[in-house]
Amino acid sequence: MKDFLKGLWGQHPVFRQLLGMCPTLAVTTSALNGISMGLAVIFVLFFSSLVVSLIKKIVPNQVRIAVYTVIIATFVTIVDIFFKANFPQISRALGPYIPLIVVNCIILGRCEAFASRCSVAKSLLDALGMGLGFTWGVFLLGSIREVLGMGTILGFQIMPQGYNHLIIMILPAGAFIVLGLLIALMNRIEER
Amino acid sequence: MKDLILIFVSTVLINNLVLSYFLGICPFLGVSGKIESAIGMGAAVTFVMTLATTIGWLIYHLALVKFNLIFLEYVIFILVIASLVQIVEMFIRKFSQPLYDALGIYLPLITTNCAILGAALFMVTKNYSFLESAVFGFSGGLGFSIVLIIMAGIREDLSYADIPKHFKGAPITLIVAGLLALIFMGFSGLISA
Amino acid sequence: MKEVIKIISVLTIVCLVCGFLLSFVYSGASEKIESNTKKAISDAIANLAPFAENIEEIKLGEKIAYKLFDKTGNLTGYAFIAEGQGYQGKIKMLAVIDINLEILEGIEIIESIETPGLGARIQEEFFRKQFQSLSVLPQITYTKDIPENSNQIKAITGATVSSKAVVNILNKRIKELSTHF
Repeated sequence: MKDFLKGLWGQHPVFRQLLGMCPTLAVTTSALNGISMGLAVIFVLFFSSLVVSLIKKIVPNQVRIAVYTVIIATFVTIVDIFFKANFPQISRALGPYIPLIVVNCIILGRCEAFASRCSVAKSLLDALGMGLGFTWGVFLLGSIREVLGMGTILGFQIMPQGYNHLIIMILPAGAFIVLGLLIALMNRIEER
Repeated sequence: MKDLILIFVSTVLINNLVLSYFLGICPFLGVSGKIESAIGMGAAVTFVMTLATTIGWLIYHLALVKFNLIFLEYVIFILVIASLVQIVEMFIRKFSQPLYDALGIYLPLITTNCAILGAALFMVTKNYSFLESAVFGFSGGLGFSIVLIIMAGIREDLSYADIPKHFKGAPITLIVAGLLALIFMGFSGLISA
Repeated sequence: MKEVIKIISVLTIVCLVCGFLLSFVYSGASEKIESNTKKAISDAIANLAPFAENIEEIKLGEKIAYKLFDKTGNLTGYAFIAEGQGYQGKIKMLAVIDINLEILEGIEIIESIETPGLGARIQEEFFRKQFQSLSVLPQITYTKDIPENSNQIKAITGATVSSKAVVNILNKRIKELSTHF
């Protein structure tokens, strides 16, 4: 249970470990994009951890990173094909950031630091926890940016008419600033 | 020639990989503490990125497209980058000890630098020619280095500033990056075709 | 030596397994991906040219265009795909034009990754609507103020680059088309 929960808060991949920054910032222009990215990461993380912890004994130490990246790249391609076939709209919005899950340090990091050392069951719990932690992180970031930048959440208008859209929130600069403020907030909550 | 210059300027300043595509943020947050290490990392990335886009272009167009294996793109690119890094490391160690001492520790980190894979993938989606890909790879790396070095300079000074406790470390770095991204947006007026 | 053989064999096996898995998944999904693309195009044509009863695909050089026929079998216009570089990446759109290649019926954006809230607004109706009954002679132009001529559209504020890209891509493709007819 501890393996599952730590990813949600104590060792939160985005806010505490600062892993997987690139998709975190890039795709969070809206809440929906955030969720889709989160789900894709959970899928890849889950199956990569499964395979890595299954084959950890037969992989020679020198090439383990290469083997892990190939496995991860395979699952990422599967996700990419799946989105293209079933959700073309989302596939277009996430654009080039789906393939970049390959180099998302969360996945390689968890495979290397956890799945390659622990039992299958533990690795899966760890993967799920980290994946869900990542998902709520990007969902939160995406929601904040969408509300402030476009006045909507998941596409529904929630800000009053005449609300002046803070376009900067949707631009790259806004992503950096909001994430910086969120991490500072987390630091403060944690300290209490 | 005009096209190449256009790609160069827009990749270095306007569509900067770090500030507008968020690629390579991990080393950006990790290594950008000191100017010297920023220069080392930047040089290593520029070098590998140029090689990765050119070799990636050759493999993609001469092998993958020809044999209808485009779906293997990600797996192949990541293998190319990983082996490139390995080869470059061995090569440098053999021929130039000083260069190895300067770049050596940054090379392994590059495999998981998303800017390199990102550049390779962009070169495919933007449908660049061979020469354009080479220029794109080089200018992408150069843009990365410039931002990394600027950031390192700011962070060296930041260590003397009185920052609120909870903002120390990552938060203030991200906010500075946000301001840098705003400043770089000013460059977008440079090109008006 | 034994170690080296082990390394090579493990790497080879992993790559082979992954390669087979991927080609399996891909061959299962490729049909669906293709039909998605086709559907996006036929939906866009139905939207822009409700009068088109029959659509015939024609090859013009390397690219494809569509002849649109009405109920009585008369050729009423053409649909074509135009794509090119926008601000962030590729913009791909479908446009319908009259039989003389003089007046646009409208455009639909099929693919674009422009900045949300700015460039991405090229997909919104207020922008696309400007291309309805727009004259393309001598070519489409844009302005940042109120359009004055029948061949002029108003660029989106703060997203001139994306608006301009749409105009340029269309102009280029229409010029290409006119060499075929």
